[in-house]
Amino acid sequence: MAANKKNRNVAIIGIGQTQYSSHREDVNQPEMINEAVKLALQDANLTKDDIDCFMHGNMELFEMVHQPDLWHVLGTGAYGCSEFRLTTGGTTGITLVCAADNLVASGMYDIVLAVGFEKLQEGHTTGGITNMADPLWGRMLQTGALTGTCAADVINEFGEDRARRAAMKHRIIMDQHASRNPNSHRSFGLEMDQLEDLMENSPRLVGDLRLIHMCSQSDGACALIFACEKKAKELSDKPVWIRDHVTTHREETLWMYPLDLSQKEEPTHRKAPRELFERNGIDKPVEYFDVFEMYDPSSWWGMDWIREFFLLEGDEHIRMVENEDIRIEGKMPICPSGGVVSANPIGATAMVRVAEAALQIRGDAGGHQVPGDVNHALASGFGGTLWTILVMLEKELDWE
Amino acid sequence: MNQDKGEKYKDAYVVDGKLALPYQYFAGTVGSKFLIALRDKREILGVRCDTCGKVYVPPRQVCEKDFEDLGDKWVMLGNTGVVTNFTIVHKDDKHRPRKAPYILAMIKLDGADTAIPHVLEMVQPENVEIGMEVKAVFSSEPTNTILDIDHFEPVL
Amino acid sequence: MAEYFGTTVEDIFRTQDSRFRPEGAEGVDVVVAYNISGAGGGRWKLTVKDGASKTEKLKDDDFGGFTAKMSADAETFVGVAVGQLDGAAMFTSGKLKGEGDMSVLMKLPMMFTKYMPPKKGITAADILATAVERFRPDMAGDLDITVGYKLSGEGGGEWTAVIKDGKCALEEGLRDGLTVTNIASASDYVDLMLGKLDPLVAIGAGRLQLKGDMETAQKLPKLFSKFIPPEASSGPELIVLKKTISVDMKYSTGRMMGKFLKGLKEKKILANKCPECGRRQVPPREICAACVCRAEEFVEVGPEGVITMIEYVYYASPDPLTGETRETPYGVAIILLDGCEGNETMWHLLKSDELDSFKRGDRIRPVWAEERTGNLFDIKYFEKVR
Repeated sequence: MAANKKNRNVAIIGIGQTQYSSHREDVNQPEMINEAVKLALQDANLTKDDIDCFMHGNMELFEMVHQPDLWHVLGTGAYGCSEFRLTTGGTTGITLVCAADNLVASGMYDIVLAVGFEKLQEGHTTGGITNMADPLWGRMLQTGALTGTCAADVINEFGEDRARRAAMKHRIIMDQHASRNPNSHRSFGLEMDQLEDLMENSPRLVGDLRLIHMCSQSDGACALIFACEKKAKELSDKPVWIRDHVTTHREETLWMYPLDLSQKEEPTHRKAPRELFERNGIDKPVEYFDVFEMYDPSSWWGMDWIREFFLLEGDEHIRMVENEDIRIEGKMPICPSGGVVSANPIGATAMVRVAEAALQIRGDAGGHQVPGDVNHALASGFGGTLWTILVMLEKELDWE
Repeated sequence: MNQDKGEKYKDAYVVDGKLALPYQYFAGTVGSKFLIALRDKREILGVRCDTCGKVYVPPRQVCEKDFEDLGDKWVMLGNTGVVTNFTIVHKDDKHRPRKAPYILAMIKLDGADTAIPHVLEMVQPENVEIGMEVKAVFSSEPTNTILDIDHFEPVL
Repeated sequence: MAEYFGTTVEDIFRTQDSRFRPEGAEGVDVVVAYNISGAGGGRWKLTVKDGASKTEKLKDDDFGGFTAKMSADAETFVGVAVGQLDGAAMFTSGKLKGEGDMSVLMKLPMMFTKYMPPKKGITAADILATAVERFRPDMAGDLDITVGYKLSGEGGGEWTAVIKDGKCALEEGLRDGLTVTNIASASDYVDLMLGKLDPLVAIGAGRLQLKGDMETAQKLPKLFSKFIPPEASSGPELIVLKKTISVDMKYSTGRMMGKFLKGLKEKKILANKCPECGRRQVPPREICAACVCRAEEFVEVGPEGVITMIEYVYYASPDPLTGETRETPYGVAIILLDGCEGNETMWHLLKSDELDSFKRGDRIRPVWAEERTGNLFDIKYFEKVR
């Protein structure tokens, strides 16, 4: 694998996010995108004429607009420029980051602006996702992005009470993080004393996945500006360096589930970090990283995947939640932004993970800034039939 | 499918299906003002970019070239314009606004720099000409879409 | 009575039946219980059956059985009803709770028009005073008519709108020989103009009487643009178009899936086997993704098998083939058919009236459809082997 094989280093030098919300009736799609693009340009102190290439991403079938990248030139600023559209499901936003990194690292372009967006209120998310399944079989069976499988597995391994409490505790911590992030779509003001009430009374969606566990459906956009090392050093006093990224796909396996659980295949959210950390010589990821912005589509996944992403064993991940180590002020802060359960404009969501991790490194996260130095950050993306992308960010260009 | 593949592919066939999904579209502040003026006042509004001087219709929040905010740079356009191009739609499709054959024309309204596509009626296809003067005929039922202009027809 | 967002819980329920939309409640037969806590709260029971709605206030907790129940504090309930609070967010955070058949609660917005709180201070005279500016000459053409308004009760009075030569003028008093006369209470007239009272309901209930030339009466609503109350006009109207896109598709089965589907017609479940790793795939796919080779050998598996995982689906999602919302709950099972091993599973539905009795590891068998056409539903569902 091609770690440290970049032709040249790449940094994030501009970050723009809209406020995430349930409805944006006041703007159409290009107008909403434009808000994020303008904020990113402003953050980088650039104009659109400084951008060599634009990238655009969102989900297919979510807004029912064909070729949105053409229409959205009004908002992206790509008029007369190179522009690419990417759409890779839930990972779209972070695929944009990987692709922009590759484009700049290759030497093809010096400065790239990527924007991911979604207006989920305009479409039907679950309906759209269901259309990814085989039209002759799975389409009538699949339940969109909703699944109780993860909850069933955690309950099976750790018992009903412990598992349910940990998932709900994760949810409440994320809600409290979201209350400190002004861009977040949802912050309900949840308190720990509501834990048992929510465990019992939040409406069920699929199996033990309840409404409160699941991510929101949000409207919003996120834009990032990437620059080569030379330009980044000239233009920015706080460049955030992209050290490496990994994408792990698997065949469509939504219906693969063995009776003997020891036969389960290694999930991509275990394989991706294993490869990434190995090639970057990171033995103890929990100690190495100062913050992790995880793509947590539900609190069941958010809680369960801590084990996989940090290559932990046994119940270490559950203890991290129980001990509240994942809080902003905790030992291993996870999703200071409030995570995907608090804001989920899907085509932007995975890019927001990188944007938020970069803000943490810059020390610009405001009310949800992790205390102390943030030198090493990790961001993940998740999509479709359970594939995974990870991006590693660094404050200093000092790794070898 | 060629002959030798016939046996190998004998089990393959085609299933009729459908893709149906509910969705909604938010016109936004700028788009809504345009549609409401069409619907309630029968006025066609555009926006002018002070930097490049272009007048856009339908209006947009941002000039794609100059990135200027055009949200409050309204100008009223005429209900008449000229045909800048046209085509004749011969094939029927349930998504189209008229039964074929009908004329789809690009129409540059008086005072605008951009042309909009719309249905052209009251003229035979063989008599349509680029440069022909046309006027908007408004719909009697509100649709909250560009079809609040029912069609264009020649100015006699 | 405790007020929230300028209105009360009582007001919302009192107007509920007048906001009923029979076209949104076709074939609906439900009882919805409302338990609203806090000041101004109480218990209400809504019965929707045979295209009619009945809302009653209850004295005690005895709902006498219900299809679905909604619980909230009074402020949350009112806030959601008037659109000041996001219903989905309140529901998610547990401030608005549902019990029973949740799909009923999701359908309520279709069954009733939205509650509009009374706009204080707006009188019939205020509304009529705007008639001249709301008049649409383009719709009136060469109409030559007089329209009378005979509005009783507080804020009432008599007015005549004179429409002639593409102009409209308003006079106090009723002229003789009116083309059409509107007779209503002033408060009902205000509700009608604010969209709180449906004109057809008002006519049906005798609360709005139209006298004179009925053909002209039907044209009246089109002659004036909608009255927008001053409070509401502080924010601009934003256009939202609601559509269902429906595109005809053709799906090629390919030869592997084609053979599999044809097998179902003969009550056979076929898997294909990878020549390298030996794994079976159901439904078959032309390639083994792990070995990246063609897998052309078919083997018959099942039809009985074991449940390895059950997804109980409570959330109603649209059927991608029609756009219509599916019925819930339903159960999707991942199934290890006899003759398969490990991850060589497939998925299908479980028999819905036995949903609660299935568990992981249960032996199940397919129930075949009488008429089989080579599709998923040639197997209706799987049921337990007893």
